Amino acid sequence: MKKRFRNFVLAWASIGAAYLAALPAAAQEPPPGGPPPAGAPGGRGGRGGGRGGPGRGPNLPPPGPTPHMADGHPDMSGYWNAGNNGGAVFEVQKHAARSRSLPAGDGAIVDPPDGLIPYQPWAAEKAKDNFEHHLADEPELHCYESGLPNQMYRQFGFQILQPAGYVVMNWEFMHAVRIIPTDNRPHVLPATKKLFQGDSVGHWDGDRLVVDTTNLNDRTWLDSAGNIHSDQMHVIERFTVQNDRTIDYEATIDDPNAYTKPWKVAFTLNRNMQPNYEQMEFACIEGNSDLEHYQTTLGGKAK
Amino acid sequence: MSNRLELLGALAAAALLALAPSRAAGQAYTPPRTADGQPDLQGIWEVRTSPDKDIEKAKGVIVEPKNGKIPYLPVALAQKKQNEKNSATADPLNKCFMPGVPRINLLSYPLQIFQTPGQISIAYEYIHNFRNVYLKRAAHLDGIDFWQGDSLGHWDGDTLVVDVADFNDQTWFDKAGDYHSDALHVVERYTRTGPDTLRYEATIEDSKTFSMPWKIRVDLHRNTQPNARLMEYECHYLKELAESKKESK
Repeated sequence: MKKRFRNFVLAWASIGAAYLAALPAAAQEPPPGGPPPAGAPGGRGGRGGGRGGPGRGPNLPPPGPTPHMADGHPDMSGYWNAGNNGGAVFEVQKHAARSRSLPAGDGAIVDPPDGLIPYQPWAAEKAKDNFEHHLADEPELHCYESGLPNQMYRQFGFQILQPAGYVVMNWEFMHAVRIIPTDNRPHVLPATKKLFQGDSVGHWDGDRLVVDTTNLNDRTWLDSAGNIHSDQMHVIERFTVQNDRTIDYEATIDDPNAYTKPWKVAFTLNRNMQPNYEQMEFACIEGNSDLEHYQTTLGGKAK
Repeated sequence: MSNRLELLGALAAAALLALAPSRAAGQAYTPPRTADGQPDLQGIWEVRTSPDKDIEKAKGVIVEPKNGKIPYLPVALAQKKQNEKNSATADPLNKCFMPGVPRINLLSYPLQIFQTPGQISIAYEYIHNFRNVYLKRAAHLDGIDFWQGDSLGHWDGDTLVVDVADFNDQTWFDKAGDYHSDALHVVERYTRTGPDTLRYEATIEDSKTFSMPWKIRVDLHRNTQPNARLMEYECHYLKELAESKKESK
């Protein structure tokens, strides 16, 4: 078997093993808390995933000054991993342990200070229902892109390209993409046009990229636990480049339909320092729908 | 009097020459450059008439061999005919799988080319596919295969040449069952032919399927709308919507 594919299968197998280990001995019922999230890196705990390491290590020189492109903007091009975000990919808000493979975590919410999503009552109910009955409907299991801010803490890291007039981000996971024009153009799509990744427009403010995203659909979750948003969500992100390997990432989520007030996530993005690193292909094919094929107890449809 | 006429004639001729396009017949278009000196192919591009229904029947798309027919080996031709018969269920695109190369460039959904010094990337509206063309890696990867292949690029004058290998055998070239083995090797050529046109050529070879290489040529056209962007064609989502509508009947 080709080596990379074998490693991929092993990663999934470890998730399967952890999942099965969490099942009660002879019962057919699901473990408390449901299955692990799609493609979660098995055995890495709450450290926010991604190959390539955190950009720190005994053999690396200390961080250097922020590099700049010829146009004066910071050079963010290269490969990045989400730094410690309290296990946001499992659940973006502060959360208890769900099983051996799903540890407790503080999540990535910095405002409000209690680290919890300030839900409107209907949205809290929907999120609870997702968590208890519909984890097999996780959008990523259906090959959907993750929307915001979820995409920014998805596993396996991402690449930033900076061609003229754009910042382009592409993730190995689901080959998800974000194309962000940086000329401060207006949003031109009608409000009725909804996209998984929304419509992002960006501009530079010194060494900070500010990205404004509207036109998001309501088909994505905030994490694998079923936390939701509505299609009125408006996200403002700030990517503040600190040095040659660290970006401070912050996103303000404003969705009066789903939440009682805006809230904020924040974590660092760390440069992947591996030389000659490249992302692999991620082919979304039938196997990605396996959970819903055989687990009706998890809210999937048996086929 | 005749001197004035001659003078007027000369002036008129000079004026016409000054207004004429500054290229002689057969001279290629010279595109502007990116900041690092690459010919600039960037923008949002799309075929006007997709040959995806049947690449052989699409007029003028197969330019080699001259008869416009894919040069299948006899056993492979039988397989193609079988594929064609079963297309509704067997076409990988009907399951929203990755289209492969060159099919992904020929669908009726736009693509967007981005260029950076070490890498050229192509984003696709069709299920947010994304191809990375590496300009600095010398050799294809060993012991791995891809739906979209592994793409290595270099410049040949103002033409971007992309060598694509390491394919699996899972994709088709069109809906008519035209297919390949895992020995597929595609050499693409991207050439600007004008301000808003990009010529796309691909030479396809696969000694397990074809008796000789064959070549396609298609012109892509720029989306010139201000603030144009790729939209999302999310095949999996649309498929699920359709299935849930069927179930609720």
